[in-house]
Amino acid sequence: MKPFYYLLVGGLSWLLLQACREQYEAPIPYEFSGQTGSGRFTAPVRQTMEGVYTVTDGVGEFGAQVALKWTYVLNGADTTHYLSIFSGNEAGFFNLENDRSVDSLVVRGYWRKLVNTDTGLARLALRTRRNGQLQRFTGTLAVGDTLVLEGLYGTGTASPDQPLTLTYNRPLNPRPFAILAHRSGGRTSDLLSVSENSLNMIRLASRLGATGIEIDIKFTKDGVPILYHDNLLNLRLIQKNGLEGPVEEYTYQQLNTLVRLVNGEKIPTLEEALETVLTSTTLNFVWLDTKYDGPMDKVQAIQQRFRQRAIASRRDLRIVIGLPTTQAADAYRALANKENTPVLSELDTAITRSLDARIWAPRWTLGPQLEQVRAMQAEGRTVFVWTLDEPKFIEQFIQESNFDGILSNYSPLVAYYHYVDQ
Amino acid sequence: MTLHLRSGGSALLLGWLVFCGSVALAQRAARPYEPPADYQPGIYFPQAPRPGEWRKSIGLIFTSTPPEITEEIRLLVPAIDVNLQHGLSKNWYLSTRLQTQLVQSNLALGVRYATPVTDKLYAGLGIDGVGWFGALAIKDVFNSQAGGLEAIPHATLGYRLTRDLQLTFRTEAIMDLYYRSTVGPLAVEYDQRRLNGVAFTFALEQPFYKQQHVTLGLRAAYSNFNWQFWSLYDTFERDFFYPQLFFGFIL
Repeated sequence: MKPFYYLLVGGLSWLLLQACREQYEAPIPYEFSGQTGSGRFTAPVRQTMEGVYTVTDGVGEFGAQVALKWTYVLNGADTTHYLSIFSGNEAGFFNLENDRSVDSLVVRGYWRKLVNTDTGLARLALRTRRNGQLQRFTGTLAVGDTLVLEGLYGTGTASPDQPLTLTYNRPLNPRPFAILAHRSGGRTSDLLSVSENSLNMIRLASRLGATGIEIDIKFTKDGVPILYHDNLLNLRLIQKNGLEGPVEEYTYQQLNTLVRLVNGEKIPTLEEALETVLTSTTLNFVWLDTKYDGPMDKVQAIQQRFRQRAIASRRDLRIVIGLPTTQAADAYRALANKENTPVLSELDTAITRSLDARIWAPRWTLGPQLEQVRAMQAEGRTVFVWTLDEPKFIEQFIQESNFDGILSNYSPLVAYYHYVDQ
Repeated sequence: MTLHLRSGGSALLLGWLVFCGSVALAQRAARPYEPPADYQPGIYFPQAPRPGEWRKSIGLIFTSTPPEITEEIRLLVPAIDVNLQHGLSKNWYLSTRLQTQLVQSNLALGVRYATPVTDKLYAGLGIDGVGWFGALAIKDVFNSQAGGLEAIPHATLGYRLTRDLQLTFRTEAIMDLYYRSTVGPLAVEYDQRRLNGVAFTFALEQPFYKQQHVTLGLRAAYSNFNWQFWSLYDTFERDFFYPQLFFGFIL
């Protein structure tokens, strides 16, 4: 047989196999109105609703219990409220808004599971169960009343037709715990509707259960700190535009003009990101993951400026500089003035102590490290673990370890296991 | 379904074509006429070794990291690949395969049935029981172990293109049976039986140099989980493409 045939067999088999790669998508089947306020869901109603609910109809899809929590985003003086429901099943969550088209307490929106592409529409009405009868909720609960959310959910864009009933069981776990969302809220590879490390993702983070976020900092060619994870411009993160190579080889103007993230957003600057956190969200923690080699003074200046603004506006917001490598630690040590510059060390306990980092963040793959965690906490340090996504380990870390928070790509799952923990 | 040829894929394709070509040239240049033989050395070709006969091969298998999990990092991860087969009867034989990177290994034990369909076309069926284990203890990075069991039933067609060049196509179903992982004192376990994915293999087996024979091939696995990447703890419930290139010297 001639070499041509060997090449043909090799080439065709490779092309055949490559051609069969499947593309995954999970488009959101619901368009939010974005209207400000919360309609009939007044503050007392929202507060009363929050809690752990038992699932009766819908157990197979969403598990035996779920956690309900209201969040909001700000637009100037206006607030827009959203109801999140966190499920322990396949990192599932609901994002819902109040339905103003009806004269009752109704929410509508979508559900999604982060581990796969399952999604669908949902519509739920808030009622009370009194003497075994479901009644319209008037805003106050009498003794013996139980809150019930009942309605329908569907699959994909199909109209909801499956029953879903959630019955109030108990309050959310009140223990302080940091639910930190990776890459400003979630990974692009989890097929969210907005891109990782974007302003839209920062605005979405709370609805995914996050109380804080981690963002990745790189510098442009002309020294502007931006949010971007990878070393290179690539189609994993950006739309096709012909540009490639290290992100540091492009000026901010070039990136701002020519590059769009996969869901159409611009690559934000660090200042834009912190401005969004400060003015549009209720997030209380920002972890600046320094993914560059070089001086830290520019990032420190921005961190300090926003820290001052947070204090001035009485916002509970900590902005800390992450030190993932010894080079980053050296850059921190080289700062002329370290006052009011909180840092988070991913390095070992000895280096963390030598840096006087107030936060220690070891990898989750080292296990709970109970002794070291307790020792660091006894010295007044906060201890987070990163980046933990495996559902069963999330459950165990929350139940059996002593960390003060978890950084995860699956903040809805961390939220679920934290809020239902007793 | 869309056609993808990323830069990493193009490099792999180029390397693959060069390798196929070099083997083809070696075969064409070196071989005088030999009469056809009933038994050609082969690890993938569906033909049982003679009863009591052992077949052995040693080589390397390279697995490409899926970009969905490793993102911008693309690697061809090598593993030592050892095969051992033993003929039980005219049609039945046992097979053993060890793939190892020292810190993680995969051992498959199987039984196979093979029979000629025509002079050139052969067919085979088999099932492998697979156990894999990995342990990583790296200061400040890992204190983790994982292991699992899989079953891989497979069907194989082999065709003698020439008197000593054998082309094999194998299709496999990868069934997960058990998984356990520990980090420090914490452990998770999954013992659900489920179809993890499928794999398709093309292999060429032929003389390479003097009395030596060589296997070279490509295996494409579409699976939810791949044992070599257990330490990445991917949580996606999606099938990803794990292309593998392998070659082995039949001893």
